[in-house]
Amino acid sequence: MNHQIGIGFRKDFAEEFLNGNELNPAFIELAPENWIGMGGYWKKILNQAAEKYPITCHGLSLSIGSPDELDVDFVKQVKQFLNDYQIKIYSEHLSYSKCDNAHLYDLLPIPFREDAIKHIVKRIKQVQDILEMPLVIENVSYYTPLAAEMKEHEFISAIVKESGCKLLLDVNNVFVNAFNHNYNAKDFLKALPLSEVAYIHIAGHEQVSESLIIDTHGQAVIDPVFELFDFATSLIKPVPVLLERDFNIPELTELQDELNRLDKIVATKWQTKKNYA
Amino acid sequence: MLKEETLKQQSLLANYCRTGVEPVLLNAKQENLHHYRRLVFNIACDTLETAYPITYSFLSEKDWDELTYQFFSEHKCKTTQVWKMPLEFYEYCLEKNIASKLKMPFLNDLLYFEWLELEVHTMPDINYPQVKEIGSWLNDEIAINPEYKLVKFEYPVHTTAVTSDIESKKGNYFFLIYREKETGRVQFVDLSMLYVFVIENIVNGKLLINIINEANTLFNINDVEVLKKHILIFIEDLKQRQFIIGFKK
Repeated sequence: MNHQIGIGFRKDFAEEFLNGNELNPAFIELAPENWIGMGGYWKKILNQAAEKYPITCHGLSLSIGSPDELDVDFVKQVKQFLNDYQIKIYSEHLSYSKCDNAHLYDLLPIPFREDAIKHIVKRIKQVQDILEMPLVIENVSYYTPLAAEMKEHEFISAIVKESGCKLLLDVNNVFVNAFNHNYNAKDFLKALPLSEVAYIHIAGHEQVSESLIIDTHGQAVIDPVFELFDFATSLIKPVPVLLERDFNIPELTELQDELNRLDKIVATKWQTKKNYA
Repeated sequence: MLKEETLKQQSLLANYCRTGVEPVLLNAKQENLHHYRRLVFNIACDTLETAYPITYSFLSEKDWDELTYQFFSEHKCKTTQVWKMPLEFYEYCLEKNIASKLKMPFLNDLLYFEWLELEVHTMPDINYPQVKEIGSWLNDEIAINPEYKLVKFEYPVHTTAVTSDIESKKGNYFFLIYREKETGRVQFVDLSMLYVFVIENIVNGKLLINIINEANTLFNINDVEVLKKHILIFIEDLKQRQFIIGFKK
């Protein structure tokens, strides 16, 4: 693998992956919440993975868009984990998963509003101050807007600009949202602060009705998403690229085929062999 | 500072995902809201079903669904780590006396048993003591695997297939649950009260010879040699099972 193409590290295939040679990513990504404070068998697996691959972290529970107060203790736990495993990229979702002091464990859409921007920027800065590194924020899939007063790209751009955070460009999410909300995916991409992209995600999804796609991470990446990824790589500098697969895990060779296809695309756009992670 | 209206919209959507009380949201696609509730519930239910497979299969589908819906509606999950959320479910069932409501007196033991297996499997590593291989069981301090719990149940959910018959077996049941160092596997050992006494005193640093003498009096056995023989067999068994790991240095 010439370029930085990684795979989401899942317990479902951890052992097979670490003991075999069918899947050869340049790095792995994991959710710190799934590993913090864990000992025994899974700690051994994590240590084994960390010896073999560089790690990036993609969080689930920061809930940066929550109306609630930021969970500072949790951010400190994440910081410790990042330090323990020398992790240089910590990304999270531009969404909320906690409200009224109750965790929901899934990603809800934030109102695209000025006051939400100010609120989130303040929280991102707070997180960055604790972590002493930029937070990387992902554009999320959403199935309904919520009390929106501006366009999604305006919302994302303002947050990135005002907070100084980096952008995780999830290409599949752009595709899903463009379909769900009837906009042009390429125009949307061009309107994002692409110079701040530090990381890319790509994944499969499921169309559940004529007008709705759900971002499941349970299927192979489809051709139009690969094509959108191809287009995106022509607009941005080389960054690590991550394939997400959370459900319906196929043979690892199939995942490797997807990594190879991503690698082939970036090889034509990002010529030099470079260690980005 | 978030405006009241922004906060309210976020709260209404989150509350809908937890309770199913459908809100009217500003500029929303109402027809798609149910996907959020479905997705949130899938994660919560999958997590609970994975943590509590025996309880899940024992309860009727209706009882399980009602219980999980009630839990997620009424309880505000506190943990940032979804795999720890089942502990909150167990605590919720205790607090709300679900065992009594479902007429399943053994439910609390069953849930705790299932949670314990998960907890011991995943709990943070604990430093092992320095040990030596050679020593006297009776006169040297015995070293044990520190990753364990001693548990008491009223129902034998740890040894018996869970059927409605289990209700007639109310009593005092003790067992040891621990994690093997090399494999990380969780092991269970059924214990009598005498053996709980022995383990607790080993943990407290007492010599086995003294523990045997105390047990001889406490349990009215009055035959210290027979007691010694039984306890030494028990100790050897725990050594084989990798719970006893040698002698303290």
